[in-house]
Amino acid sequence: MERTLTRTEILHIDRPFKLDCGETLPEMDIAYELYGTPSNDNVILIEHALSGDAHAAFYHSDEDKPGWWDAMIGPGKAFDTDRYCIVCSNVLGGCKGTTGPASINPATGKPYGLDFPPISIRDMVDVQRTLLSHLGIESLKCIAGGSMGGMQAMQFFCDYSKLCASFICIASALKHSAQQIAFNEVGRRAIMADPRWNEGRYYEKVSPEAGLSVARMIGHITYMSENLMQEKFGRSRKDRHTSNIFRPTFEIEHYLDYQGIAFVKRFDANSYLYITNAIDNFDLITSISSSGRTRGVGRGRGDIRDLRPKKGLVITFTSDWLYPPSQGREIVKIFNALNVQTSYTQINTEHGHDAFLTDVGTQTEIVRGFLASM
Amino acid sequence: MSTLVTRNHAIIEAWVNNGARVLDLGCGDGTLLDTLIRHKKVNGLGVEIDQDKIISCLKKGICVHQTDIDQGLSNLDDMSFDYVVLNATLQAIHKPYKVMDEMLRVGRFAIISISNFGYVHNRMHVLTHGQVSEHIRFTGDWHDTPVIRFVSITEFMRSLNDMGIAMMDARYFLPFGRIFIHPPFKDLLVKEALFRLSRG
Repeated sequence: MERTLTRTEILHIDRPFKLDCGETLPEMDIAYELYGTPSNDNVILIEHALSGDAHAAFYHSDEDKPGWWDAMIGPGKAFDTDRYCIVCSNVLGGCKGTTGPASINPATGKPYGLDFPPISIRDMVDVQRTLLSHLGIESLKCIAGGSMGGMQAMQFFCDYSKLCASFICIASALKHSAQQIAFNEVGRRAIMADPRWNEGRYYEKVSPEAGLSVARMIGHITYMSENLMQEKFGRSRKDRHTSNIFRPTFEIEHYLDYQGIAFVKRFDANSYLYITNAIDNFDLITSISSSGRTRGVGRGRGDIRDLRPKKGLVITFTSDWLYPPSQGREIVKIFNALNVQTSYTQINTEHGHDAFLTDVGTQTEIVRGFLASM
Repeated sequence: MSTLVTRNHAIIEAWVNNGARVLDLGCGDGTLLDTLIRHKKVNGLGVEIDQDKIISCLKKGICVHQTDIDQGLSNLDDMSFDYVVLNATLQAIHKPYKVMDEMLRVGRFAIISISNFGYVHNRMHVLTHGQVSEHIRFTGDWHDTPVIRFVSITEFMRSLNDMGIAMMDARYFLPFGRIFIHPPFKDLLVKEALFRLSRG
């Protein structure tokens, strides 16, 4: 089959951007991809998860693998590019083209490192709002994402309710539980315990690869269900005879090692710290009920009463123990209380949290059905 | 049971006010809610356990929750609906009392249909065949039919009494498509019944 090529565009914003924390970014790049031609009622904004990027679907000319949600986005797929125009951008604080801690601080001419201000999920969606304005998009048919993408989808939907007709939130939560914060904290500590991290100043030297890969290994454990991990790896081994007894021998050890190494090649350790911090601090109910929600000039944050005729869809996966179905039902409860017609479905799968990327069969039917009714 | 499902729709539609908030438990593919939304402009929510039926509801634009009714309706607030419908579903429920309590917690009125086990045909079938009729069993064999509760009109009335639930309205279906409000020999002659109930 012929590969459809795409590329990531960069929008440069040459004016200060005020953040939730009160600090200001003097300038900003926003990396995004756009599939199709936007009209009044065909745009769907896709939100990526912790390690994702703007490249949601199709191929870059130098790639063998397509974008991270290619199974769901494309002609005839769940987010059908024959019918809808899809936009996806790299989050603020990321390292795939949008400004983040690895970007050059114009004040010093060096990478920000820890001088990068703390960011929030709300900041991420404010950046996306800016992007949409530049693209001339003033209404969204839907805003959709999984995991951290689901948090952004909810935040955007609440903050800019006038723009959105609906949201789809997959395998996500209104706020992190103690356990979820705990896993993220262990990941952050692994990075910060790596001497190469050097208080975030490593950009001219070697990055804290060991720490970041351990953080990713922890992540991968939480993305998989116990059953799937057992079925896939069990206690099988390779390289049993090795001189060093602590070299990985179990298949699961090799798998995590591989995932860790693959990740450090494509991700920035400081981005990992900033983004997981934003996830842990996310608390949708507090953020939409606080007085600060209308702060800022021209941000157009919507009145919560505007949510009334809108629709939502929450999807969870039975074996997802990182973002369990109970958290999905909490989301439904809140949005129903806000008078958003919010549907809930729970997909039966053994694939754990990763199911939002891998279990596309049922997800496709659900998403297509939901979008078709609007 | 399938005739009960569709025939009841017309009666339920007549009972439900314009613009009411309606919760349909075991809403299937959303046919009833779709009708009520189009004809009565209701604010509808369906609850269904089957994934394919959920997808059918979503296609129709109906708001639906994938939930096991037996697990309770804890996600729904007290008195958040005007009508809570349980059409042709009561007999498939493990804890009918709990579900009926929940219905009248989240809604002002409960609309419940039952298939009368005391109906003369059902009695005769047990007598002549030594087993429950297919009409009662709905689908499947004894071990895989969704219908696990057999209740007669009298028993159901007694339950309402025990639970302090008041009957506001009733329609009784007799053979040959006749519908009564006050039928003779209820327990013997009524095939199916539809009730509108409220909490005392």
